[in-house]
Amino acid sequence: MTRFEWSRKITIGHYIPIDSIIHRLDSSCKLLGFTVLIVAIAFCNSYFGNVLFFTFALFLFVLSRLPIRYGLSGIKPAIPFMVILAVLQLLFYGGGVTASGTVYIHYSFLLITSDSVRLVVVSAMRFVEIILVSSVLTLSTPETELMHGMERLLKPLKYIRFPVHQFSLIIMIAVRFVPTFAMEMEKLMKAQASRGAAFGTGRWWQIIRRTKDMFPLMIPLFRSAMARADDLVLAMECRCFVPGQSRTTYRRGKARSRDFSFLLIIIGFSLFALFYPFPG
Amino acid sequence: MRAKSSLASMGVDRMERQPLIRAEDVSFQYKGDLGEKVIPALNQIRLDIYPGEYVAIIGRNGSGKSTLSKHFNGILQPSRGDVWVDGWNTKEKSRLQEIRKKVGMVFQNPDNQIIATTVEDDVAFGLENIQVPPEEMDERIDAALRLAGLSSMRRRAPYHLSEGQKQRLAIAGVIAMRPACLVLDEATSRLDTYGRRELLRVIRRLNEGGMAIVTVTHHMSEAAEADRVIVLDEGSIVLQGPPREVFQKQAFLQERQLDVPAASRIAGMVHERCPSFRPDLIDSDEVAGEVRRLIGEGEK
Repeated sequence: MTRFEWSRKITIGHYIPIDSIIHRLDSSCKLLGFTVLIVAIAFCNSYFGNVLFFTFALFLFVLSRLPIRYGLSGIKPAIPFMVILAVLQLLFYGGGVTASGTVYIHYSFLLITSDSVRLVVVSAMRFVEIILVSSVLTLSTPETELMHGMERLLKPLKYIRFPVHQFSLIIMIAVRFVPTFAMEMEKLMKAQASRGAAFGTGRWWQIIRRTKDMFPLMIPLFRSAMARADDLVLAMECRCFVPGQSRTTYRRGKARSRDFSFLLIIIGFSLFALFYPFPG
Repeated sequence: MRAKSSLASMGVDRMERQPLIRAEDVSFQYKGDLGEKVIPALNQIRLDIYPGEYVAIIGRNGSGKSTLSKHFNGILQPSRGDVWVDGWNTKEKSRLQEIRKKVGMVFQNPDNQIIATTVEDDVAFGLENIQVPPEEMDERIDAALRLAGLSSMRRRAPYHLSEGQKQRLAIAGVIAMRPACLVLDEATSRLDTYGRRELLRVIRRLNEGGMAIVTVTHHMSEAAEADRVIVLDEGSIVLQGPPREVFQKQAFLQERQLDVPAASRIAGMVHERCPSFRPDLIDSDEVAGEVRRLIGEGEK
């Protein structure tokens, strides 16, 4: 009954432990660097810039010694979405914004210009680049490291009274319970199926039916989540947790010059690819 | 088998030492909703627990044993009476942190007690809360994981552990805070035989190291390991003493829907037929020893 085996499929990030320069980077610098890169990609409009980012994403895979097929497998589920988006953009973008560039087709409401074609191609490329870059990040960093990296990055926010520690604790607990709830969901599905409920028999286009299938799972899942939360609060209190009280931190960051140069390279490269006036 | 401290020496100890936990006429009732009749969960409990002691609390479902154990570190405050931990009243909110540092607690479901995504981070959680300096943490985490037999799992994710290992992780998270007493609220009830055996081994090791243990359990063979067994029924202590004495009173326990360890039952049955067979045995090793002794006598 493979359609019930959720817990085997759900893991956040699929960390692959190999030794590489990228793996060894300090997690907060890595997180910041990759965020900069992703934001830069999201804003990049030129063909040339996107080719550069795409090459850079592939280069990151080489540097991190991760098999490229892991990155590609992340693209597959996004393809239908990308196709729909591309069609919509191709058909309806040209008329919406001040039409510029060469007009290719103009028939009633249809207006396809060189700009709308560029938008379609560039968005598809951006999509692929972002998926590749973020998979390098999650494949090369254990989720715990990511969280600790984030906590360190957010630390300055405590000066504006943002509850950094509580926030990261919430994230940590959420991540910690993902496999637990996946397992619970699996158990519930099996329990309901053994009483005759039909899961996974609806075809993929029967969205309403597939959503309805989920109802008999949601309520028991919520109920058990509440019960778990009660227990968890008790266990946390027993271990002297008092919300808002100051705590020490076990994990301390140790960013070295190598990490900072990585960050500088990323920022420099992103600025170049974004703002250099490429021809075309 | 572990040598049981004899009654006499325990009596002397008790007089000399200050109790770690003292319950003085503790009564407790859960607040009833919608004008339901309120049934007292605990009724005038008077109890001392001494440093280094191993106490088992038994009783059928709803007898109040879990409620009582939750009084030992101030999760619940008595409706009447007082609980003192090392001289501090659990009603003093400002002392709760100190009290919980002294008395650690482990619950039934290990999955709901683990909060971090790796074993070491989870053990560190309590240490972070009591503001242990980060330089000291590694050493404490090492020691706690070693005691719990999880040293090799340090960097694992909790969901890769077995149920028994998870429960030992929950224990490690508590003992890293170096409490004087560990309270286990049915901590073995979800474990298989192997998991339970490993957990009991850890508990015994902690007790030998001087930590007081209070275990709430349904398993009589576990209770037989303790220095003292406390029997609760309808919120009151109806019987207490060394397991050897308590498990002699089979009829009394059965009235309260409690069992005795299989070894005690067998010893009692054999004793009825053959009076020279000792009736006050509590584990299978002792029964085997007694059988061997009688066979030896027969051969002489």
